[in-house]
Amino acid sequence: MKNSVKVERAILDLTQGQLAQKVGVSRQTIYAIETQKYEPSVVLALKIAEICDKNVNDIFELEETDWSK
Amino acid sequence: MKTDYLLPNRYKKIGWIIFVPAVLLGFITLVFQFEPSFLDVKLFALVDSSPFGDTNYLGLTETNALDEVLSVLIIIGSLLVAFSKTKNEDEYITKIRLESLVWAIYVNYIILLVCIIFLYNYAFFYALVVNIFTVLLCFVARFYWKVYTMPGGKPYEK
Repeated sequence: MKNSVKVERAILDLTQGQLAQKVGVSRQTIYAIETQKYEPSVVLALKIAEICDKNVNDIFELEETDWSK
Repeated sequence: MKTDYLLPNRYKKIGWIIFVPAVLLGFITLVFQFEPSFLDVKLFALVDSSPFGDTNYLGLTETNALDEVLSVLIIIGSLLVAFSKTKNEDEYITKIRLESLVWAIYVNYIILLVCIIFLYNYAFFYALVVNIFTVLLCFVARFYWKVYTMPGGKPYEK
């Protein structure tokens, strides 16, 4: 699953730590999401989308490989 | 993330204080067969059976209590260390926790399989004694290794 969290964070001028604090996770979790090492839960994805004032689909996008997991 | 099955973070420190000395003393006891006489006591036993004697139920048995005390301390200490929340417990940590549990079960039973196949008599008995603790020890080692080497531990990134 691709995501544009890093871009959205830059638009809002937030650090990883600031975004982490807003959605209630650790900074490492935001880092892991941005580097695609971790796929967030639906709730966390919705929280991130809400902070960025976007729909989840605008930030998180399925890849072809997600269908063959 | 709500994790009702974990203890509050404050129990972690208590766990380490119990766990580390108990493991060290347990190791020394196992290697040197250390049995201080002041711990020779009579304890209540549900079942007490010896290889050359009768089996007694619901009675008192004479034993050196050091191994019982240390085993209880190691298990309680490692449970507290393993299942107290980290300071920033979130869903990513929960994922690492669950992966570490599965990993620990695999490693534990691989070790046990090797012991069953290659160890006999007293050597196997000692392996079983150690095996009581290996699931928790493997879990604690793997979980903390993963948490402390978590990627993104660098200074704040813009």
